[in-house]
Amino acid sequence: MIEYLIDGPLWYFSLAVFCIGVVWQLGSIIFASRKTDLSVARDSATSGAVRTVFSRFLPHKEIAPQIRMQVIAGYMFHLGLFALLFFAAPHVLFLEEHLLGFGWTPMPHWAFIVSAQFAFLGLIMLWLRRLVNPVSRLISTLDDHVVAILTFVVMLTGCFALLEGSTALRLLHRFTVELWLIYFPFSALMHTFTFVPSRAFIGAWFGRRGIDA
Amino acid sequence: MILACSMQLSLAGASNLPPEKPQFPTGVSSLNPGSELWREVRRRDGSGEFNEVNQGLLVNELLREMRSSQQMPQGTSQVEQVDSGVLINAQGKRWALFRMTTLVDYSAIAIAAIFIIIVLFFVVRGKVPIEGGLSGNVVKRFSDYERVVHWTLAIVFLFLAITGLILLLGRPLLMPLFGKDFFALLASASKEGHNLFGPLFLVSLIMMLISFGRRNIYEKGDLTWLLKGGGLIGKGHVSGGFFNMGEKTWYWMVILIGLVISISGLVLVSPNFGQSRVIMELTHIVHVVSAMILIVVSIGHMYLGSIGSEGALEGMKSGYVDIKWADAHHDRWGKHCHEQDLIVSAEEYARLQGQTGNISEPATEQGK
Repeated sequence: MIEYLIDGPLWYFSLAVFCIGVVWQLGSIIFASRKTDLSVARDSATSGAVRTVFSRFLPHKEIAPQIRMQVIAGYMFHLGLFALLFFAAPHVLFLEEHLLGFGWTPMPHWAFIVSAQFAFLGLIMLWLRRLVNPVSRLISTLDDHVVAILTFVVMLTGCFALLEGSTALRLLHRFTVELWLIYFPFSALMHTFTFVPSRAFIGAWFGRRGIDA
Repeated sequence: MILACSMQLSLAGASNLPPEKPQFPTGVSSLNPGSELWREVRRRDGSGEFNEVNQGLLVNELLREMRSSQQMPQGTSQVEQVDSGVLINAQGKRWALFRMTTLVDYSAIAIAAIFIIIVLFFVVRGKVPIEGGLSGNVVKRFSDYERVVHWTLAIVFLFLAITGLILLLGRPLLMPLFGKDFFALLASASKEGHNLFGPLFLVSLIMMLISFGRRNIYEKGDLTWLLKGGGLIGKGHVSGGFFNMGEKTWYWMVILIGLVISISGLVLVSPNFGQSRVIMELTHIVHVVSAMILIVVSIGHMYLGSIGSEGALEGMKSGYVDIKWADAHHDRWGKHCHEQDLIVSAEEYARLQGQTGNISEPATEQGK
């Protein structure tokens, strides 16, 4: 019964919430009404947008020494998680069989494990930094902590099910993934999709005013 | 009719021919170690004929000899792998027995003992107070990065300790409570988690070594701290620098025993680098014994760093410690803080923690 629920209705429900929620949130951002900028353009908004989207991948050199740990841990976590999600053999197989109908070459098992280790270490360090730094702690909301813990739990249950020999452990992992998908559109996890438009928006705004930032 | 007759003749002739011998590739002396066993049975039997009872007894006798042997009898095999010529690993039986009884018993006793010692110590001594209470004025002890490194190591270590203890003690302790099916799940999950998190412990150790190593080098005055039992025995606090002798010893225990655990863990988790079974068995014992030492001492560290000593936990929570705590436990460092005017008032500390006003970092000794 639980197996049927997790593999069937709950999976489709969580997928629907995720897809509709993400589209709704992105739509509401993109189509939100904005005041017309009446100022005289000093520079190109488009080039400012493109420049900012890419320049934000590296920290400003003025603050780089202070945030070195966050940058390294951030890249470890995000790249590790990306590799895990889209190149781990069980995930590629799952996407092929249940969603896309086609697959691609997965990474070798050792790379899968190393990616998971990078992702775990990065996530633990980022979350701890959020807790120990007074400024980060003050500006963090409950959602930030829930997102970190939920993502950690999803990764941990995936780690527990690595042997792929137990239905119960597979179901536990899939259940936590479904919770994660349902929570995704209503949380800070949306930055997965919004970081590009938000950088572009700020970059365009700065670019139009000739601000080099 | 002629065709039928010729077929009958050819079939009759074929049945009288001796059976063909199987053709093995040249250079292969034996198919597997089992063949060596049978060859030895035939040699001892001497009759050259098959005798089920006699040869059965000889097999049992040989197996007994192999199990009780100090050396593993080596056969030959076409499989070119480490130990592929070994039919019975007598050492493995002894290791399995040691792992299932001695290791389990002593590990459980060690954990129970440390908890009893801590409870007794708490009852007798209570929370070690700061004379006159805390002042509220603080001094910065650890940077954000140092605390992140400490807690990362702590989280990874705790996860490994819990999963490791489930694997070590779960069979006698948890299986009777939760049943075989649930324990099988728990053990499988623990094993996968333990193997994946193991290398993270090594990375955390290296970060710990880089962040804290320099300040944990032993110096003049540390021996006095040791001779006075760190102040836990008797009354009054003992002189100490930024880290006292006890903290430094604990630190080097973590680094050195942690390295032993990490390296032995890597040997265990990567069995495809030519390690023999005996190496794996010895490594496993080294891994468990060193991990148990670290687990037991870490329980004492957790106690002393939290409920055992007033004001100690603040250093790893906020990064600041009360100046009276510094004067009491680390007087040489406390004196340095007084001289360098590194003390932060209670009001400023509250502001730094975001309780009021703007936030700015004060000058610190570490410059971080």
